[in-house]
Amino acid sequence: MSNVSADLIWEVSRLQNSYLVKTRTAQFSRDPLNLKNVHSRKYAGFVNDKAIGISANEKGGVQVISKKPASANKPASGLHTVTYGGNKTGRKTYRNVANQAAKNGYRADLRSVAVSRASALRRAQRPAKADPERKLRGNAAKKAAAAKQ
Amino acid sequence: MASRPTVTIIGADGKATGATEVLPKVFGAPIRPDIVKHVHTGIAKNKRQPYSVSEKAGHQTSAESWGTGRAVARIPRVSGGGTHRAGQAAFGNMCRSGRMFAPTKVWRKWHVKINQGQKRFATASALAASAVAPLLFARGHQVSTVPEVPLVIDSSAVAGEAVAKTAAALSLLKAVGAGADIEKVKGSKKVRAGKGKLRGRRHRQRRGPLVVYSAEADGKDLVKGFRNIPGVETSPVDALNLLQLAPGGHLGRFIVWTSAAIKELDAIYESKKGFFLPTSVVAQADLTRLINSSEIQSVLRAPKGEARTKRGAVQKKNPLKNKQVQLRLNPYAKAFAQEKLGEAKAEEGKPPKPTVAFKEQLHEV
Repeated sequence: MSNVSADLIWEVSRLQNSYLVKTRTAQFSRDPLNLKNVHSRKYAGFVNDKAIGISANEKGGVQVISKKPASANKPASGLHTVTYGGNKTGRKTYRNVANQAAKNGYRADLRSVAVSRASALRRAQRPAKADPERKLRGNAAKKAAAAKQ
Repeated sequence: MASRPTVTIIGADGKATGATEVLPKVFGAPIRPDIVKHVHTGIAKNKRQPYSVSEKAGHQTSAESWGTGRAVARIPRVSGGGTHRAGQAAFGNMCRSGRMFAPTKVWRKWHVKINQGQKRFATASALAASAVAPLLFARGHQVSTVPEVPLVIDSSAVAGEAVAKTAAALSLLKAVGAGADIEKVKGSKKVRAGKGKLRGRRHRQRRGPLVVYSAEADGKDLVKGFRNIPGVETSPVDALNLLQLAPGGHLGRFIVWTSAAIKELDAIYESKKGFFLPTSVVAQADLTRLINSSEIQSVLRAPKGEARTKRGAVQKKNPLKNKQVQLRLNPYAKAFAQEKLGEAKAEEGKPPKPTVAFKEQLHEV
């Protein structure tokens, strides 16, 4: 609408909104367009005209969504989605994410946060290392193991 | 504003019909959560039924005080004998089986009068908020599949008997992208906590879309179609209710308009005698744009200092981590590091025994 700014929306929805998660110590956000999952003006993607959100892609890699400022009142077509697969090198992914966040007058202040979120998601997708075999402790245990063999 | 914004009209298949409608003026009303909240708390009270405890509760005994001298408190005590109740204190709010403190009365002030101007302001504000997609998301509506906000359906899709059946009404809502919101409502049904369960309010659930129709143009058959879909409410456009437009006093209800209803909206607000649609106090509500505007920036003093100003001695640096500070304190640190004295091993073995000549010299008298 004509006279509805992000600042106004933030003031209206600051105290209660469906994404807000309150804990004893901090306030978090479940907003998919929130890069830090923190309830704050800067990261509140649903409020801002331009916002970027990064989530894990099902088949590995990350999925980046960003708002189209021109279609703010068209929710179905208001998001731009790009996927960077898991086979892409980290550097390429991060460079693309950084460019998407910061270039063309989008959200330059969110560049490093976007990259670190993408990095964290990729790190989480690495296969978990198997636990190393347990070392035998003490002479008695070593002798018992030798005797078994 | 040169031209007023328009809204596309969605057909029964969920695609744009190509027709557009000029957005009614009410959608430009200022969004005022404070007024909406205040009006909501007022009018939410007007549907209450009086309740109170029985007038007689706690007084159905012939208790009298024993007076002084019996080494017990002077509270009225139940007379007689032969039962435990005899001799027990009665009446007082601190007594077992006594009356409650300040017993509730049916003549409590149950209703609150809200001024008509305020009510109209709040309704206009809630309508304006219903056209702001982020506020719909903030209220928790699942509207990410909705093609446009406000969502206007062609009246031909609901005309006559078209959605008189629930199945047809449900498929229409799904076609226009409101299916997710209805699914959310369906999954949200929970048993209420507390005594409300016994008082006809057994379950609680979310609110879904509000279908606003024109009683004249669309007829009332659609009400029957929509009324059994969980969370969906209907309202004729000339009888909009703030309790439905901003449930809980929270702005941003998801409203599905029929094209006939949204067409009528301007006329409805013009016909309200003595009421003028509220207008915004500020023309530009975007703080960043205001701050960065040339009008503001031209009168501001240039910032002092540079983009990165050295903090000098303000902050203490850790000399163990900061090499420059360390060198200032200990110039030898450079040589120490270059020669890797810190990594050099201690000399091995015992120190050599003193030579005979040395001992002689030492013990020389």
